[in-house]
Amino acid sequence: MLNNSLMLPQWIELLYLLVIKELNIRYKRSILGYFWAIANPFAFAFVYWIAFKFIMRIQMENYSVFLLTGMFPWTWMNQAIIQGTGCYTNNSSLVRRVKLPKLILPLSNVVQEMIHFVFAIPVIFFFIFISGCLTHPLEQIWQIPIMLVIQLMFVYPITILFGLLNVFVRDIQYIVGILFSILFFATPMVYPINMVPEKYRIYSELNPLFPLIESWRGILIDGVISFSYIMNIMIWSAALSIFAALLYRRLSGKIAELV
Amino acid sequence: MKMIEVCNVFKSYGSTSRVGIKELIVGKRIIKEGLFSRKWALEDISFSVDAGRSLGIVGHNGTGKSTLLSLMLGTLKADRGSVVQRGRIGAMLELGSGFHPDLTGRENVFLNASILGLRISEIRAQFDAIVDFSELGSAIEQPLRTYSAGMIARLAFAVLAHAHSDVLLIDEVLGVGDASYQKKCEDFFLRYISNGGTLVIVSHDLVTIKRLCIDGICLHKGKLIEWSSINSAVDCYKKLSTCPQQ
Repeated sequence: MLNNSLMLPQWIELLYLLVIKELNIRYKRSILGYFWAIANPFAFAFVYWIAFKFIMRIQMENYSVFLLTGMFPWTWMNQAIIQGTGCYTNNSSLVRRVKLPKLILPLSNVVQEMIHFVFAIPVIFFFIFISGCLTHPLEQIWQIPIMLVIQLMFVYPITILFGLLNVFVRDIQYIVGILFSILFFATPMVYPINMVPEKYRIYSELNPLFPLIESWRGILIDGVISFSYIMNIMIWSAALSIFAALLYRRLSGKIAELV
Repeated sequence: MKMIEVCNVFKSYGSTSRVGIKELIVGKRIIKEGLFSRKWALEDISFSVDAGRSLGIVGHNGTGKSTLLSLMLGTLKADRGSVVQRGRIGAMLELGSGFHPDLTGRENVFLNASILGLRISEIRAQFDAIVDFSELGSAIEQPLRTYSAGMIARLAFAVLAHAHSDVLLIDEVLGVGDASYQKKCEDFFLRYISNGGTLVIVSHDLVTIKRLCIDGICLHKGKLIEWSSINSAVDCYKKLSTCPQQ
């Protein structure tokens, strides 16, 4: 068997081709093609912006911007994990019939959704700009790549875990969907944390998705990155990675038989 | 040099009938033991393939031939025993695995060749040769869903033929091509072996397998009952076919 470090550039190319494949499949057959990658988040953001600016006027300054800066990173994570849960079960021919580094499949799901998020960044900034929140453009922009890497390292092990478990218990794919609709409201994301009653606030602080979303807001709205939040996410990422690695070592040999 | 060594391999698929909510309520259905029910999918298999040799595997349906190829490729793990591979392995265990119908032939070539371990630069350099070999011409720019099964087989095989594999594992997939293409595949295999490549092929086409292979094994109900020349393996298989309950 070839040395793993020698294989790395080849794996990166394979990841690139897998991601391109998914993007091509999603956009190629539509008339507007890749234009949808940016039109879709724009339309989504516009609907929310109208809804909260003129209809549901929430008593909070620039609520639309608050909402959008939380919703887009959330959508990336949510979509990556929900789709990644099927990364083995929906790709049985890739798992059974060809020799593939198996950890590349969940990674391609996460990266693909990350690219959709990256397409949405200009949209987010458009709404930040028209709401007059573009106060420190340099700080608001240069820290984005750091957060991309941090979220990637956080979402990837979760995707591996659900992808693996779904091979053995197919009910996981439904449970993940329900779990995320619970978390959508359980995480202070569509509402600020000070709306949470004092005695429940500890649960929000324990939820790793809260510092993740708050960090994005810190960067995108104020241009400030919070180190305590970042540390919090990184500890979660490390713990999840170890857990995912152990589970993968135990279960990966059985994947091809069960999908 | 031994490119593949299979030592005392046992493989079972376990009991795959799962207890779901329906079985809990209605109760389990008792299914009669059939032709394919046995404890081991493969039982105590040992053989090896030397570099530059070609091995043909024959046997009835459901006798473990494809499982054996998956073990050699490494997508399945043996329950007991060991499988050792050397060199780069290319496999065609299924028609168009890893192909996507909405991608063009060109895009599928890149993806498939990358799965087989080629670098993008290598694929670019060989792209024209791959298209030439497949004889698909301008159809290479069409999405794969417009292809016939034979065209998909041509494309898949063209990629495999340019993947510089040290070992090729082929499972009964060449039958879909037309006569001229099958001839082309056979010529490729013979050239590949004479250049030092190692070939393992599963087929029910006994004439072709005799032409391509030197060694042969015959499987029956998960057991290896013959490992010698391809002629004796095929004879053994024919004998089983006349009295299958043996």
